[in-house]
This record gives sequence, structure tokens and C-alpha cells, in this order.
Amino acid sequence: MRLLRFKTPDGHPALGARIGDEVINLTELGCPGTLDELLRHGAAGMASAEAAIKKATKRIPLSSVQLMPPLHHPHKAFAIGLNYVDHAHEGNFTPPTQPVLFHRFPTSWVAHGVAIERPKVSPEFDYEGEIVAIIGKPGKYITKEKALDHVAGYSIFNDGSIRDYQFKSSQWMWGKNFDRSGGFGPEFVTADEVPAGMVGMNIETRLNGQVMQKANTKDMIFDVATLVVACSEGMDLHPGDMIITGTPSGVGFARKPPVFMKAGDVCEVVVEGLGTLSNPIIDEA
Amino acid sequence: MRIFTFEKAGKPCIGLLRTPEAQEYIDLEIAGYKHCHDMVALLGQADWKDSLDAILKKEPSNAIKQMTGVKFLPLVQNPGKIICVGLNYADHAKEGGHATPEHPSFFLRVNSSQVAHQQPMRVPKASAKLDYEAELAVVIGSKARHLTLDNALESVAGYSCYNDGSVRDYQRKGTQWTLGKNFDETGGFGPWLVTKDELPPGGDGLRIQARLNGQVLQDGNTSNFLFDVKTVLKIVSECMTLEPGDVIITGTPAGVGYARTPPIFMKAGDVCEIEIEKIGVLLNTMTNE
Repeated sequence: MRLLRFKTPDGHPALGARIGDEVINLTELGCPGTLDELLRHGAAGMASAEAAIKKATKRIPLSSVQLMPPLHHPHKAFAIGLNYVDHAHEGNFTPPTQPVLFHRFPTSWVAHGVAIERPKVSPEFDYEGEIVAIIGKPGKYITKEKALDHVAGYSIFNDGSIRDYQFKSSQWMWGKNFDRSGGFGPEFVTADEVPAGMVGMNIETRLNGQVMQKANTKDMIFDVATLVVACSEGMDLHPGDMIITGTPSGVGFARKPPVFMKAGDVCEVVVEGLGTLSNPIIDEA
Repeated sequence: MRIFTFEKAGKPCIGLLRTPEAQEYIDLEIAGYKHCHDMVALLGQADWKDSLDAILKKEPSNAIKQMTGVKFLPLVQNPGKIICVGLNYADHAKEGGHATPEHPSFFLRVNSSQVAHQQPMRVPKASAKLDYEAELAVVIGSKARHLTLDNALESVAGYSCYNDGSVRDYQRKGTQWTLGKNFDETGGFGPWLVTKDELPPGGDGLRIQARLNGQVLQDGNTSNFLFDVKTVLKIVSECMTLEPGDVIITGTPAGVGYARTPPIFMKAGDVCEIEIEKIGVLLNTMTNE
């Protein structure tokens, strides 16, 4: 299934299923209003969505709805640093031997199609194309063998980064949490629609149509299962928690000369099996 | 004024201390205050302090309760953001082998890592290296972006105590401290919020202590911040919109366990107290996960 959260033409938030260019309003058919809540209902939640899709008689055009970020209020949104060898090298980092975790607040991202903001205080606004794994089944101290059972599905993330702030101290959080600096979406793709662990999928970031990052998820240093293990050591993972899995090489700040995003640009992250996340760039008002 | 979050019939409720000695409180639900179940919602009301002042004056006898037996919840249960400042006292930076920083370093905690006053902090299965960190917590009272040093403190609702419990081996597994700072129920928060009018501007000049089983292990003063509260607020708000109920934890002074010779880590049965002058004592007992 491909699920999305959207505002109906009359402005009500709802959970939908996308079929081609059309959307079925699942909330109207008795499903929860958010993916967060649907995931909390586990397998029964997914079954209820599937049943609703089968019995649906009404579809609305995708073009008539306004997309919202797939999750409403994730409690945890871990992001993984330096998870591709070539990206670690381009930033002059040693590839890590353990997953490197930081975190983003939900205030730091917007939905597909919504503008991301270059802040007033810095011109160093950079893109990072990534896949995000979304937890469906709770767990703590999860083993690698069972790890993928806990992943409900995937989406795309643009881990927009304010580079000078990111590197002002040893902790990157500062440059990774500017208001509305990241993109998340367009939709949630259930794990059964893609290869296990999203292994072997192409990922590409384009700025104004030009390919800036091009890689394959098989080159991740720590695969999705390993990341689930690492994020569940000491922390209960809950349905709707996110793991943003890291970006490959080609980011703007490491280029010569550096490339940063500015108002009027359009950034797209294209992931095989997941679709395209597109965001225009505007200046902070 | 002092307000706190407690559990009432399985649900959160806000209490208002009647006196600073903390013997009695006013149950804001019984007192008829509408926004009494969630600190974020309460702080989001522009007139919350006036409303609560009026309730204090009225002394509604049916709403006055004894503090004995109250089950605290984390002061702000579901803040939009918990932002932590690292290395904000020169002596603590030095004991960890860090240079005095030119900029503050920020990391964050997720809500599931918090635990209330008098509730057990968890020594995780995965590590024996749970350490204490006494910190002044700033609770935001109004929405703000791009604050200046002149107006930054206007965004503050009040202050509380935080024990930024840290799993040291996990904190230092990678370059980012996030993992070691977010184990479930490792961060103590409370007991109450003291409104800013009762404290020096910016919480400046307050003695701050951590005690483990009664032994004083950290003994600092907020006047020794490298980046004071208004500077931190100015810098954070360059990046993010602050919202009512957001929490900023301002860093810890020297004396943490891992930097001692020999190191000290907390184990089941230990009692850790964080005391900040004019605010109170946050107490947590360690239990094994």
C-alpha cells in the first residue's frame, strides 16, 4: 500500500491510499485520521486499511489534495550520520564503526511539494537525499534477525542541513533542526512493496534537474536492520518512530566550488520504489 | 508561583503549590481551571499566570490537598522540543578533555527519556555507565524566533531542575552524543516549575548541586555558565521557533561521575538528588531496567 496524509479539498486532514493518480480517503471509510494511529493498531490496522481500499467506491484526484508529512507526530526521529563511505570521506570524516545518531524535531520538516526555507542567518543550506524507515511494531533490544519485522514501511527524506551551524560545535543537531528545513514524503510505502530492508535501490538527489547525488542503498555502511538494532538498545521503539538512514556523497558543501540551495531552486529526492520527494526553496520570511 | 504535573486517576493533572514549603497544593481541576491536564496547553494560555494567581488568592478549600503521596509526572510530559546545551561550564568542559568551546553545542532528548521527580531512573541492561548531570532547566512560556539579548528572557515561563542522565559508553560510541542521552527513563525532570518572577533574571547566580546517596559530587553556580540563558535563547531561536512548553537544559558543572578517579556510576538502589537554590530538590532512585 501507498498511504499518504492529506488535506481534503475542504481542508480536513485525512489518511489516504494512493492508487495511481487517485486517492481513496481511508478516514472517511472508518480508518484512523493519521498514519501514526494506524501503525499503533499493528497488523489489524493495516488489514483495516486494505479492507477499506477494497470496498471503496469513491476516489479523488491526487492533484486536488494538499499533502502533509506522512506522520503527524513521531516521538522519535533518529537520523544517521555518515552512513555511506564516500559521503564520510567527502566531509573528511573517518567512516564510523558504530552508527552515528542525531535527531530531528518534527518542526524541522515539511511535506512533499511544500517549500523548505533557507534561513535568514545562513546561506549554507544543503540537501541530503535519504530513505526513512518507519517502525510498525514496538520493541527494545531488537535482534538483527527480527529487526525488519519491526519496520512497517519506508518513505523519503531530504535531511536539509545548515552547514555552518552544523559544524559550529561537535554536535550537529543545531544545523539539522532549523524550522522547515527538511522534506518528508510524499507517501508511506509499506514494506511488502519493496525489497527487504530497501536493499539495492537507487537513490538520487536533483537540484533544478541536475543530478547531485546518485547512489544505491546497498552501499549503506549500516543497513536498515542494523540501524533498528542500534536505535532499540536502551530505547523502546514505538510505532511511528522514524529512522532517517543517512545520505550518500555529492552533498553541496563538499563540492568545489560548494553548491547551496537558494530561493527559487527545486530539490528532488528520487528513490527507486518510493517515488519522488520534491520541495521548492524559499527564503525564511 | 510553583506548578507541577502529577498523576490523578491515571491521567495527568496540574497542581499549584500553596506555599513554597510544599506541604499543600491546589488541584487545578477541582479549582475549575480548564487547561489543567497538560503543561504545554497551560503555558500556551497568555493569561495562565493571572488565572492561577486568582485561584491562589481565592484559596478554594475543596481543591486544597496535601502533598504527601502525590505521584509526580515529568514537569512537561510532552514538550515539543527538549534542547540540551553541552559543555556550558568551563570546569566541566575541562574535566571531559574538551577545550573551552567558542560556540555552545546542542543535542536533544526525546520525551521517552524523561522521568518524574521521585520516580525511578533506569540503569539500562546494555550498560553499567549511567552518570548524573545536574542542570538548570528553562521552560519556555511564549512563542519566539530571532530573540535578542534584550528580549530573550521574556520568552521564559520559569525554571526547574533536570538530571541529564547519560549512558557514557553509548554517548561516546560515535561523534554524536544523542544515543547515550536518550535511554528510556534516564532523565529526571522536576519537581516543579518556579516562575521567573521568583528568581534572578536568567536564573543567574544559583547554586547547583548533585548528590549521590547524600554525598555532594557536583557543586557549581549558574553564574559560571559559559553561555548564559539569554545567550542560549538567542542562539537557539536563530534556528528554531520556540513554543510554550519547550524545555532547554542548560548544561552541567564539573564533578560528573565518569571524569572522576576512580569513576563513579549509578547503580540500583542509589539515590540521586539535584538541588538548585531557590528552586528545590529533584530526587530519583536508581532501579535496574
